[in-house]
Amino acid sequence: MKSYPNLGLSASNDNNSRLSTSTTKAKFALRFIRSLKEMKKRGHVSNNSSADERSQRIKAAAYSSMAHAVGPRRAWARALLFKLQRSAKRHRVLTNMTRKRNRSCLVLRQKKNKKKKKGIKKKKSVTNGNDDVLLNQTDKLRGLVPGGKSMDICSLFEETAHYIKCLATQVKVMQDIADQLSPK
Amino acid sequence: MDMGEKDKFELDNKNEDAMNYSPGMSSDWRFDGSNLTNTSMGFVTAGNSMAIGKGDVIGSSACSSASMVDSFVPTMWDHPSNPQNLGFCDMNVQNNASTLNALGIRKGSPASLRTGIDRTLDMCWNQSGPMLKGAMFLPNMPGMLPQSLSQLPTDSAFIERAARFSCFNGGNFSDTVNPFAIPESMSLYSRGGGMMQGVQDVLAGSGLKPVLSGVHSQKGELNVSEASKDASLTVEHGASEGSPLKNERSENLAKSHDEAKQFVGGSGNESDEAEFSNGAGGGQEEPSMIEGAGGEPSAKVHSSKKRKRNGQDSDPDQAKGASQQHGESTKDNTEQHQKGDQNPSTTNNKTTAKHGKQGSQGSDPPKEEYIHVRARRGQATNSHSLAERVRREKISERMKFLQDLVPGCSKVTGKAVMLDEIINYVQSLQRQVEFLSMKLATVNPRLDFNIEGLLAKDMLQSRVGSSSSLAFSPDMPMPYPTLQPPQQGLIQAGLSGMGGSSDVLRRAISSQLMPLAGGYKEPSQLPNVWEDELNNVVQMSFGTRTPPNSQDVDGSLPTGQMKVEL
Repeated sequence: MKSYPNLGLSASNDNNSRLSTSTTKAKFALRFIRSLKEMKKRGHVSNNSSADERSQRIKAAAYSSMAHAVGPRRAWARALLFKLQRSAKRHRVLTNMTRKRNRSCLVLRQKKNKKKKKGIKKKKSVTNGNDDVLLNQTDKLRGLVPGGKSMDICSLFEETAHYIKCLATQVKVMQDIADQLSPK
Repeated sequence: MDMGEKDKFELDNKNEDAMNYSPGMSSDWRFDGSNLTNTSMGFVTAGNSMAIGKGDVIGSSACSSASMVDSFVPTMWDHPSNPQNLGFCDMNVQNNASTLNALGIRKGSPASLRTGIDRTLDMCWNQSGPMLKGAMFLPNMPGMLPQSLSQLPTDSAFIERAARFSCFNGGNFSDTVNPFAIPESMSLYSRGGGMMQGVQDVLAGSGLKPVLSGVHSQKGELNVSEASKDASLTVEHGASEGSPLKNERSENLAKSHDEAKQFVGGSGNESDEAEFSNGAGGGQEEPSMIEGAGGEPSAKVHSSKKRKRNGQDSDPDQAKGASQQHGESTKDNTEQHQKGDQNPSTTNNKTTAKHGKQGSQGSDPPKEEYIHVRARRGQATNSHSLAERVRREKISERMKFLQDLVPGCSKVTGKAVMLDEIINYVQSLQRQVEFLSMKLATVNPRLDFNIEGLLAKDMLQSRVGSSSSLAFSPDMPMPYPTLQPPQQGLIQAGLSGMGGSSDVLRRAISSQLMPLAGGYKEPSQLPNVWEDELNNVVQMSFGTRTPPNSQDVDGSLPTGQMKVEL
């Protein structure tokens, strides 16, 4: 609680200079906390659920809140939301089945996906020295940035820049929250 | 130095030229070339040259160059394997040589021969009969060339004379300029011949010298076009005057490596400058002339210069047209560059067809390095490559942006390393998110209580930081009716009070926390007050009844937030 006024003061001090970042950060925090609340309200995060599941859910909440905060203007946000929705749908469908089956299916699908990705990458990779390295790296980056697989390099870099910004903000928000939650 | 040899060679050249001319009509093959390739191009150029009424000589030279271009184009693209290509190349080169020779002759006999030759040449050009040219050349050549060559050492005086001539004779200005330029080139070649020969060894081989006496001029041209640096060097050696233009020329060539389009524009401008310099001083004329001379034969850029010069002599509009033509025919330029590259090979090996094919297709045949560079330069004018360049610039711009964004990436040089850094950073961020979510999950039970406080804090921060207090004020009154218990209302108030300070809020607050109401009444005040309030509120929620309160909060707050979301 002691860090609290400091934060406020610091925010008020460089009011103008940090206006945009602080607003984005606040937006992110708001979204994230809201999504956490929603999660709790729905009873997804209960005491009987494992920590792993909870962390997964929180992570999904973090990403989705981030994407929501950014809005659909950004390709990565769109892709992220789509991915999350799809996974959520799948999850919902799967929750109707037994949990064991559910997990095995998930694992299987993940494995399949991984295999597919690997195959694509191998096909794409062109042996050309330096270009090869760059291609590999851009492929890696495509894998990291949501929706990056269908982007050209130019927009990939642009989206990556924005994505990095948002991720950093999100990390900061989560860090703050974790600091607040952690025993003082 | 090599003057004697030069003379011989040139004489031989003349003979060859004469031979070439006598069998083949220059106009005929010119048009053939145009027909074979782009009729439009050929006709346009022809029309241009024709349009230039003053400089018939220039026009003819331009025509020759244009024909060169056209002939090159077909040889390049359409019929690479035809024996006609050989004929074209040779014819073109020879034609150029012949024109040069004619001009040189014209210049060579400044006092006596000039007038007569001018007349004759004018006659020839007016009639536009290459046959006549050849006929003229044949008799004149032997006598003429040595004169010109002998006069070459006395370039300065000669140039001055020519300059005067050009200056004074408005109508004949272009005429004078062209012959002038050509003898200059001749002198260049003659002088540079020795120089070039050294270069030739590097470029083509020693076999060229004996085989192609006319190659000297050709070589000189080719060298000028191809090995720009070498050419500039020779130019410098040959002509000790007018260094700036040489520099420009070298710059031109250097530029040409990078961007052919800009090069065209730049060349046009510089050619204009050269023209102006021509009009101004005789000393500076030499290099410009050399440029023109070098431009004539092989490289289209040079030909463009020539054309522009012609146009300027006659009309600026025509110059524009010429420049437009150049802009249109940038591709042809590239082709011509390649052609220029091919020319030596063709002359050398006389297997022009093969080389023409290879060079024309722009594929990478086993050639010398400079040819490689040339092809690339030619390709630089391609729209594809231009788009590629734009794309690359964009990418580098984005990369710079990313570099600023990623910590520790600003010092890194090299795309690969930078990409590595970026990837690592993104990965680390994602891992951090994962880790933090895990951390939050582990502290989940406490998350229930503190979320409100955190939310309040974050909102407060946002308020204090951004002063966007109005964002939530309209939405906040909505949830209040639903909030029956005062504590929850309090929390809500604590959250919303930052923004709104509505009466509902105050009431809700007053019910529980009277002393804090003052702070709410003046929401735009100190953040400390709010913080205290919030702390109190949070502590209240903490202290009184944690489990039910959390439940209630869960029930109540999300609705409010949902509405906020809406």
